[in-house]
Amino acid sequence: MLKPKAISQVLKQATTGGVKATLLLNSEGSPLAFISDSDRDARVYAAIASNIWSTFEKNGKNLMRDDNLKFLLVECEKGNVAITTVSNMLLCLVAKPEVELGILKAKTDALARHLEEPFQRMTTYTQT
Amino acid sequence: MGKSGSGKTSMRSIIFHNYVARDTRRLGATIDVENSRVRFLGNLVLNLWDCGGQETFMENYFAAQRDHIFRNVEVLIYVFDVESREIEKDMHYYQDCLEAILANSKDAKIFCLIHKMDLVQEELRTAIFDERLHELEKRSEPLKITAFATSIWDETLYKAWSSIVHSLIPNVRELESQLQNFATICEADEVMLFERTTFLVISHSSRIECSDIHRFEKISNYMKQFKLSCSKFQAQFKSMEIRQANFAAFFDVLTANTYVMVIMSDSSVESAATQMNINVARKHFEKLEVTHMPR
Ligand SMILES: Nc1nc2c(ncn2[C@@H]2O[C@H](COP(=O)(O)OP(=O)(O)O)[C@@H](O)[C@H]2O)c(=O)[nH]1
Ligand SMILES: [Mg+2]
Repeated sequence: MLKPKAISQVLKQATTGGVKATLLLNSEGSPLAFISDSDRDARVYAAIASNIWSTFEKNGKNLMRDDNLKFLLVECEKGNVAITTVSNMLLCLVAKPEVELGILKAKTDALARHLEEPFQRMTTYTQT
Repeated sequence: MGKSGSGKTSMRSIIFHNYVARDTRRLGATIDVENSRVRFLGNLVLNLWDCGGQETFMENYFAAQRDHIFRNVEVLIYVFDVESREIEKDMHYYQDCLEAILANSKDAKIFCLIHKMDLVQEELRTAIFDERLHELEKRSEPLKITAFATSIWDETLYKAWSSIVHSLIPNVRELESQLQNFATICEADEVMLFERTTFLVISHSSRIECSDIHRFEKISNYMKQFKLSCSKFQAQFKSMEIRQANFAAFFDVLTANTYVMVIMSDSSVESAATQMNINVARKHFEKLEVTHMPR
């Protein structure tokens, strides 16, 4: 099961050094937990991130055959965004423009690795 | 069981068939012997015997069918009309039943409902109930009984039936402790488990005290009404979420026999997280149910 406070603690640790928001989304794009200065912003990030992800994934399916989408890095005017999967969920980090893409990717990967195992175990229980 | 007119059909209609109390006045009186069955908690069959009308018929019937009727009884629920003018006779029938139970299903749990309490003046209710309880306990020896004062016009009926359902679940302690764990992990204020066809509360776990002691019966009632409204639109009720400024309530199917309700006052916990927890818990409680529910 998901301990909401514990998840938030982990996400908080990643929300440093220019990272503005860290979000964990379910497969439908609804936030399970997030850290952000603004609730409103976080929900907007969640909607956009999950939308971008599912669009790429859908359109890429035919092209990439069995190879699944693993990571998205989006460079925007006012910041950079990293999106990846944790089990069947999405992890999304939103950072200020001065945070380099490399460090953003490394941070996202590290966090995803940390969350992967427990979430994998949980998903096996969710399947009906 | 219970004498004709004591309120059995009314109770059954309210608890098992989504009637509202007002409608029970339209029910026809039961003549002779009426037997009806309802299935709930998965495999449990509630067998309702209306012992009404002509006494000779009754006595013959019972003499002939006694062993058949009283075999494999898990629970006997006997309904007494508090306003009955023939208490002595009621007791006589009751003791007949007990004898048959003792002979055929000696481990059966026995519940006595002192019914139609609404007809008794409020300030006399406790005294009258205590008096009847005392009498019943004496007459029931060596069997132990549990008694409730009930009325179809208030929450007492749900309360009594919840206790009955609760007592029918073997290893209910285990279920309770698992529910407690679930509440703790979810960070919920309160978690309640409802029987699926009746919406009776089976068990609950509260981490924050709530001042309304009648809330379970009220919720049972509301949810049943809501489910009924859904079916009028040919829709099957499955789940709902209510969110207000200071709390969120989730109501969802948990297992084949139960619904769960989760109350959260911590607004920083996202809906999706709670829903996911309910999803994850489903399998676990399903397993618990398979091993512990009555067969
Ligand atoms: N005042 C009052 N009337 C009740 C109550 N329960 C049932 N009745 C009424 O008692 C009558 C007989 O009830 P019924 O369910 O047919 O009794 P049965 O013969 O035991 O099945 C009906 O008119 C009901 O409306 C109760 O709690 N209070
Ligand atoms: Mg009847």
